[in-house]
Amino acid sequence: MPVPDELSAPYWAAAGRHELAIPRCSRCRSLVIPPGQACPHCGSTNPEYAYETMSGQGIVRSWTVIRQSFLPGFDVPFLLVDVELAEQPGLRMIGRLLDGPDAPVTLGARVKAAFEDIAAEDSADGVAVPAFTLASDS
Amino acid sequence: MSGRFAAAGKVAIAGYAHSIIERHAARPLGALAVETAREAIADAGITVGDVDGVVAAALFPTSGAHAAEDGVATVTANWMAEHLACLGARPEHVSGFQGIGQMPGAVAIAVNAIAAGAADYVLLFRALHNPPGSYHGNPMRQVAGPQQWTAPAGFFGPLAMIALPYNEYLQRYGATREEMAAVVVEARKNGARLPWSYWRKRPLTSEDYLAAPMLADPVGRYDCDIPVDGVAAFILTSADRARDLPNKPVYVAGYASGRQPRARLPLHWPLDDIMAAGTQLAAGLWKHTGIGPGEVDLPQVYDGFSPFVWFWLEVLGLCPPGEAHRFVAAGGIDSDDPAALPALSSGGALGNGRMHGVPQMLECYLQLAGRAGPRQRARATVGVACQSSPHYGGAVMYTAEPA
Repeated sequence: MPVPDELSAPYWAAAGRHELAIPRCSRCRSLVIPPGQACPHCGSTNPEYAYETMSGQGIVRSWTVIRQSFLPGFDVPFLLVDVELAEQPGLRMIGRLLDGPDAPVTLGARVKAAFEDIAAEDSADGVAVPAFTLASDS
Repeated sequence: MSGRFAAAGKVAIAGYAHSIIERHAARPLGALAVETAREAIADAGITVGDVDGVVAAALFPTSGAHAAEDGVATVTANWMAEHLACLGARPEHVSGFQGIGQMPGAVAIAVNAIAAGAADYVLLFRALHNPPGSYHGNPMRQVAGPQQWTAPAGFFGPLAMIALPYNEYLQRYGATREEMAAVVVEARKNGARLPWSYWRKRPLTSEDYLAAPMLADPVGRYDCDIPVDGVAAFILTSADRARDLPNKPVYVAGYASGRQPRARLPLHWPLDDIMAAGTQLAAGLWKHTGIGPGEVDLPQVYDGFSPFVWFWLEVLGLCPPGEAHRFVAAGGIDSDDPAALPALSSGGALGNGRMHGVPQMLECYLQLAGRAGPRQRARATVGVACQSSPHYGGAVMYTAEPA
């Protein structure tokens, strides 16, 4: 379960609405993942990130099938994709591919954002983790 | 750094010692470290009282929840200095390297200290530990900070980290795990010949490599070095002092380190980041030393995960980009072929156990000092010892003659 902080809270709030939101530096206008205390693109120490909702479209740059998890609560195997989002060259994030570990993923395959709802252990509140599915036309 | 390395050829390795590498040593790591340090001091022909510098990198590279207790799970330079002081050492320069690429980073600190006159005889050591239980297993259920962007999806630990650029390489260049078998078999062949190696007398076949369980595709069991308990120690001193000591000095010609080109998610290592920064690292090393890749007869590439071998061969310019998989599979790094580049003649981490950059540095030292015994190569004049990923780690160039 993620523990949101000041910089990440809008990301998790948007994920809860099943929207992928990524912060943009108000100085250099670059989208950044993750948002650092200083902007990783322009170095501004006052980036005043503003979150924007993404299209959720991207292409697969790499992937792996995890067969041994070092964290509790993950059923193996599962497939992780390294995705370059459509909104900015080189803007990459990593998420699960919800099509399953045997999905016919290829380099450059088109994916779209999806969300995995995770129930909290000790409360009614859950969290949604951004993930991906293969786009139907790929 | 704008020009040539001012301390080139001015600092030398004068001696070494290496413990036996075991899955779990019978002795506490600190005790093993002190004993290995004393052996290195004796090997160099000096006394404990001569040691006035202690340098180490102490990273305990687990993703798990293990405590990094000093003297037990790791050994810091400070811990060693305290324990050598009570044996009569007078350490004045005590430094720890904090970054990744621990051996090149520690060597750089030691060389700088000696060249600056801050220390005359530096004990440089590395102590690695294999804790009981899962090395990387972590019971955490909540994650804050940078890992909240990755761990909730299950992206965690170094296997997933290396799996992504490894697969990116396979897909981009049409490389295969069958070709990677040649890397691991070569490392294990050479490691099997080393009396201190965990894998001594245990080479690996391609069939066994390919039949081993997959952990994070395309990473299988034998693509990963095995965690061990082990200690290595070296004595570095000025070239002038080294020439009065019993062993043939091996000189440091220069060093370079990699810097990732941009901030990324934790453990996210895109292939292009690795290669771009590694190419820059290599260019810096050649410029720094005035010695080019064509003059390196003992390249020692890092192999804590097998794909690093391909990455390092390419960034060092020893084969064209995208060609390392074919180069290795065709026998290009076969240590038994005099025409090949003996890039894993140290056995590496895959053939020794998780000793980080120790095997690469040790092989440069042993071969250039003429101390490699039955493994001694006819020609060994310039060695490069690499460690970690090219975009985080470093490389040190050693020469048999002062620059």
